[in-house]
Amino acid sequence: MEVNMTYATQDIWTWWIAIYLYFGGLGAATLAVTFLTDMYLKPHRHLVIWGAGAGVVLLALGSMMLFGHLLDKPAVLAVLNPLILFRKPDAWIAWGTQFIIWMMVWGVLYALPYVRETEFPRKVPLIKGLIDRPFVVTIAKLVQRFHRTVGWLAVINGVGVAVYTGLLLQSFPAVALWHNPAVPLLFTVSAFSTAMAFLLLLMYTLINDQADEHIRVLYERIDLVLIAGELVLLFSLYQYLKNGSESAVRSLQLLWNDYGWVIGFIGFGLIVPFLLELKGVTRGWSTRVPILTASVLVLGGGYLLRHYFMYAGVYAYPW
Amino acid sequence: MTHFAMVIDLNTCVGCNACMAACAMENQSPVWDARKWRTYVHDKEIGLGSDVNRRFFPRLCNHCDNPPCMTVCPTGATQKKANGIVFVDQDLCMGCRACAMACPYHARVAITHADIREGREFYGSDYHRTSASMDKCSFCDHRVEEGRKPACVETCVGSARMFGDLDDPNDPVAQIVASGAARPLMPHIGTRPNVYYIDDIKWRG
Repeated sequence: MEVNMTYATQDIWTWWIAIYLYFGGLGAATLAVTFLTDMYLKPHRHLVIWGAGAGVVLLALGSMMLFGHLLDKPAVLAVLNPLILFRKPDAWIAWGTQFIIWMMVWGVLYALPYVRETEFPRKVPLIKGLIDRPFVVTIAKLVQRFHRTVGWLAVINGVGVAVYTGLLLQSFPAVALWHNPAVPLLFTVSAFSTAMAFLLLLMYTLINDQADEHIRVLYERIDLVLIAGELVLLFSLYQYLKNGSESAVRSLQLLWNDYGWVIGFIGFGLIVPFLLELKGVTRGWSTRVPILTASVLVLGGGYLLRHYFMYAGVYAYPW
Repeated sequence: MTHFAMVIDLNTCVGCNACMAACAMENQSPVWDARKWRTYVHDKEIGLGSDVNRRFFPRLCNHCDNPPCMTVCPTGATQKKANGIVFVDQDLCMGCRACAMACPYHARVAITHADIREGREFYGSDYHRTSASMDKCSFCDHRVEEGRKPACVETCVGSARMFGDLDDPNDPVAQIVASGAARPLMPHIGTRPNVYYIDDIKWRG
């Protein structure tokens, strides 16, 4: 069929879905990293509370972005029901919604014993009244008994959310930029990189404790590897787009001709923090400012990645 | 087994847009919004200088055998009948628009609450929509079940649109498709569409 092709970007899922994907990946990966740290590296009450809090708050905010744009909001009840996975096991939004819900549930449960030990929640009347109720105390004891089982249930669902954010975009076959195996990998790596940055930011400011130095060093090293991995993935994505279909080539032109992508995301969101963290890991910094700067840049870059991805997806219409 | 398909002959489409009007009235489409037609006829000029031809290109949902819109639909609102027709159960649809993102043929339209209010005024008491949802061509399945053709096919003045059963070897549509004279759009994407086009030769000489 000989046709004249029209190439177009979309205005259906825009910045708000980028926020959904960003908060989803960041919140879920933060929760997973803090719980794994608590289970295997060092029991850390503050880290777990911050991780669970970030997971729940960011995921709630991100989900509100999607929910707010639904045409028929009451119909969302269908995907909130876990049985949806039996009816629609091929739909990533169904999986993602269930991952988000169960990550929140197991995340709150895992943090519950720590919350009961913490002073601040007891100053909030509503929370104080709740966490001292007999059934909550019983649940907290049960969670302590099955500490790692609950932790792993939260981690698995958290990783599921991070991977889902990429799989969702990959399921749209018309757009070469999205429909390729690099996307779930890129979004997962980016989610964990931004989570490391968020936690470094936290551990150098609000929960700054010298006894956590080994955790900070580990996070810096992991983040360095993740940023390097992200750069490799981007390079391979560039090669794929450069020699791909016309949809791919046009997406490449949109991205790599945009200062926001090249300088904003790749330059300041990846390369600069990589160099700052590389020096921190190899020779160390005398102040915390460079790592704080790197963390802020990685967090900004994480959003830019998803923002530009949504706007640069090119459809090839045969008319 | 029945396997419905449509063949569109680009040589005989005159761009009268009667198919659009028939579809809109039959399916109560939001005609007040030019972006929300279930079927649409593109009007393009092809050529240079004095050698310019108009080309009309009707498009609609391709009722794919492997529909990505159905795969991504999280509520199961987009479904496929045994006869190949892909349709939306408006009561199940929450309107996340993932189907619109997945469709390579730009065949999805959003019916909002504002459209429904407007629809009640425009179409009166016969208006059948009750909830906001994504919408698409259904090959007029309510007519097809009664043994009739889709509204756009029945109204087409140039007989550019033909509707038939691919599994019936005596059906003219099945014969045209089997002959290779009609071809689908973008088969390389793997959607296995069931709308076929006979290439127009007039503008290519």
